[in-house]
Amino acid sequence: MEDQPGFPEFVQQQAGKLLEQTLQHIGLTFISLLIAVVIGVPLGILITRRKKLAGIVLGIAGVLQTIPSIALLGFMIPLLGIGAKPAIMALFLYALLPIIRNTYTGILQVDPVVVDAATGMGMSKRQLLYRVQLPLAMPVLLAGIRTATVINVGVATLAAYIAAGGLGEFIFGGIALNNTNMILAGAIPAALLAIIFDWTVARLQKLRTRKVKKSLYLLPFLLVVLSSFYLLPAAYGSSLVAGFTPEFMGRKDGNLGLKQVYGLNIRTVVISDMIMYKAAYEKTLDVISGSTTDGRVRAFDLQALTDDKHIFPPYYAAPIVRQETLDKYPELAPALNKLSGIINDSIMTELNYRVDHLKQDPAIVASNFLKAKGLLQTAKHGNKGTIVIGAKIFGDGYILANMYKLLVNGYTELEAITKTGLGGTKICFDALTNGQIDLYPEYSGTGLLVILQADKSVVDTLISDNQKVYDYVSREFMQRYHIKWLPPIGFNNTYALMMRRQQAADLHINSISDLKEYLLHH
Amino acid sequence: MIKLEHVNKSFHNGKPAVRDVSFEVNKGETLVLLGTSGSGKTTTLRMINRLIAPDSGQILVNGAPINTQQIEALRRNIGYVLQDNGLFPHYTVAENIGIVPTLLKWDKKRIEERTHSLMEKLRLSVADHYDVYPQQLSGGQQQRVGLARALAADPSILLMDEPFGALDPVTRASVRKEFRSLDEIRNKTVIMVTHDVPEAFELGNRICLMDKGVIQQTGTPAELLFNPANDFVSSFFHEQRFWLELNALRLTDIRPWLGNTAPGENHAPVLKGENTCWDALEQLTTLSAPVNISFDDKLVRIDTSELMHAFTQHKQTVSGHGRSTRLS
Repeated sequence: MEDQPGFPEFVQQQAGKLLEQTLQHIGLTFISLLIAVVIGVPLGILITRRKKLAGIVLGIAGVLQTIPSIALLGFMIPLLGIGAKPAIMALFLYALLPIIRNTYTGILQVDPVVVDAATGMGMSKRQLLYRVQLPLAMPVLLAGIRTATVINVGVATLAAYIAAGGLGEFIFGGIALNNTNMILAGAIPAALLAIIFDWTVARLQKLRTRKVKKSLYLLPFLLVVLSSFYLLPAAYGSSLVAGFTPEFMGRKDGNLGLKQVYGLNIRTVVISDMIMYKAAYEKTLDVISGSTTDGRVRAFDLQALTDDKHIFPPYYAAPIVRQETLDKYPELAPALNKLSGIINDSIMTELNYRVDHLKQDPAIVASNFLKAKGLLQTAKHGNKGTIVIGAKIFGDGYILANMYKLLVNGYTELEAITKTGLGGTKICFDALTNGQIDLYPEYSGTGLLVILQADKSVVDTLISDNQKVYDYVSREFMQRYHIKWLPPIGFNNTYALMMRRQQAADLHINSISDLKEYLLHH
Repeated sequence: MIKLEHVNKSFHNGKPAVRDVSFEVNKGETLVLLGTSGSGKTTTLRMINRLIAPDSGQILVNGAPINTQQIEALRRNIGYVLQDNGLFPHYTVAENIGIVPTLLKWDKKRIEERTHSLMEKLRLSVADHYDVYPQQLSGGQQQRVGLARALAADPSILLMDEPFGALDPVTRASVRKEFRSLDEIRNKTVIMVTHDVPEAFELGNRICLMDKGVIQQTGTPAELLFNPANDFVSSFFHEQRFWLELNALRLTDIRPWLGNTAPGENHAPVLKGENTCWDALEQLTTLSAPVNISFDDKLVRIDTSELMHAFTQHKQTVSGHGRSTRLS
């Protein structure tokens, strides 16, 4: 993002992508809705006849509804892998409750006298259902479908985390890249879709019963058509599949650089950082945008491809602190600097491995490490003031924040608290400038490209030299934001394309150029 | 036509709803199941079209046990009228009336003709009401549609569950009167449930009085009045006894105690032997003058005191017999 263009320009530039994502979004919403209707309505009818089942079925559907959507998506991955299948499954499960429940209550609230009359006149169960119960339950049933549609449009944004596409790609990419236009380009169409579908079904509901009969024949047809939207964009492909994080997708030192500098052309899906490594290990993905110090690189035996054309800038980690805070508490900087130069790449990978793979508590990992280095001091429980330490949602952040907390508590009279798990660079940095946190560990490359969004010419002169990048961001941050970069911690957590070691060896791919060559010929 | 043999039914609470009920209804006859709420009369009715299954005993319709008959076919051959009419709110009046013929796969034209003719017979305007929905009709009109719907496929049997129960007294009387005069009803076997004693007497050829799931007595209105089987039966009619008795007795019944006075002036109103004592008394008191009655054998003139005298004589005779008198 050289300079942030206005919103209309952004939409114009990204029109193709926007259309693709919108179609995917509609497709995801309606495939799952269609399945939910096909299964939920008969199930709702069944439990009106088997009252004993009603409690169980509604109970299970209710519990499914209470599972946080991102967690439900997470549960689906071991079962169905990544991509459309788990997303559709999760959306289907969400849509199920309103549809079953409304079918059930809709049929039960049909006047028993009418049902009695219909039975007494000699209607079979099937005739009773189709001529009396369903037509009279239809407004309530449609209300259920309406609720399910709106829920699905919302939840479908999360599908972007598991490589299923949809408008979430823009939303999460935008959050990660500090790009408001991108967020809006995802959020506005998503909101519009919800409003349009809600309105349409509401109209259906209000139609007089006679007309509804006719328009109902259109409904399944319409659902199928809308569902098929999902298939439209998946027309291109390559032999290998890459999974990139939303952040990586939109970065110059990410997918854009790969295309421009290397001319790499690979089928790409967007996926959450949290499941990307595992998906590579499980062979759902072949190439991922990993970070070099991630513990899972070791755990899943992945190999980083050499960046032979140097598009990934140095990402040396250092704490960045509000100058205001440093002025107020001069003892803070020396405490934080105790970590400077201590952790190299392999140490960081090892620490991350313990947390990510061995599931050790980041606080304990941090404290053990400090103890081993002779840096751990008992907390002084001082009451001079409070320091809020933030961290991004990714691996390094948790551990570093915990180390800083121990250092601040041990070496100063200040009380440190941590706010870990902040969504991305934008969220962390905004929190810092707003004073909601006092410091967080940031990478020099991120500072240069994401926060400062330096011009191409500036980047080109700096990018190959770590020290130049660090000096530039230190100066600019102080000038623009009054934020201080303390000395680097020592490790370089840069992006790298990664493949399974075995596959890389089999295909003789060692560098990104090798990968490009391979793709050209396969 | 319809026969119940030792039918029993208990519901989930274990209390018997119907105990050892047996009766027979002949072709073309109207039997009224009379009783207070909870007497088991509706349960009995609903067992006949298999909306409720009896625990034991046998029910025969047209000579065959109902559980050997195909359930939908059985029901389609039995008209069913409910208290709260049970009209389909999403069907027009015409569609409601046409439900059973449609189920029987009549062709469209035949259904249409039948609907037209029934609406006319039941004083429903085809022009105004054919295509409207039931909610747009008055209570009385709705009940007429309900009746038309039950009669649509010309079933030989009609089951009616408190058919006039939801109507106000005035509407009720008029719908009842129409029902009675409907030629469609004449050759139908009707079983009707009601808790309204005058209604039972007005419409029933025979009355089956039930209490706590047990039949107390089955017989003609006169039999129930003049030869009650037990205290319950006699006390049941206590409040309206005089009026009921006058209504239950036809002039032919008291013929032996009426004199043979020849008619006087020629223009005096003439009643038939089929008319009830109540009809005669009504005429006498309104006109304050004698009336003429045409019996099969001759024309007789009576006044109020003569009528009441004969009525009293009859009562003394029948109750003295100690058994039901067959009156027809």
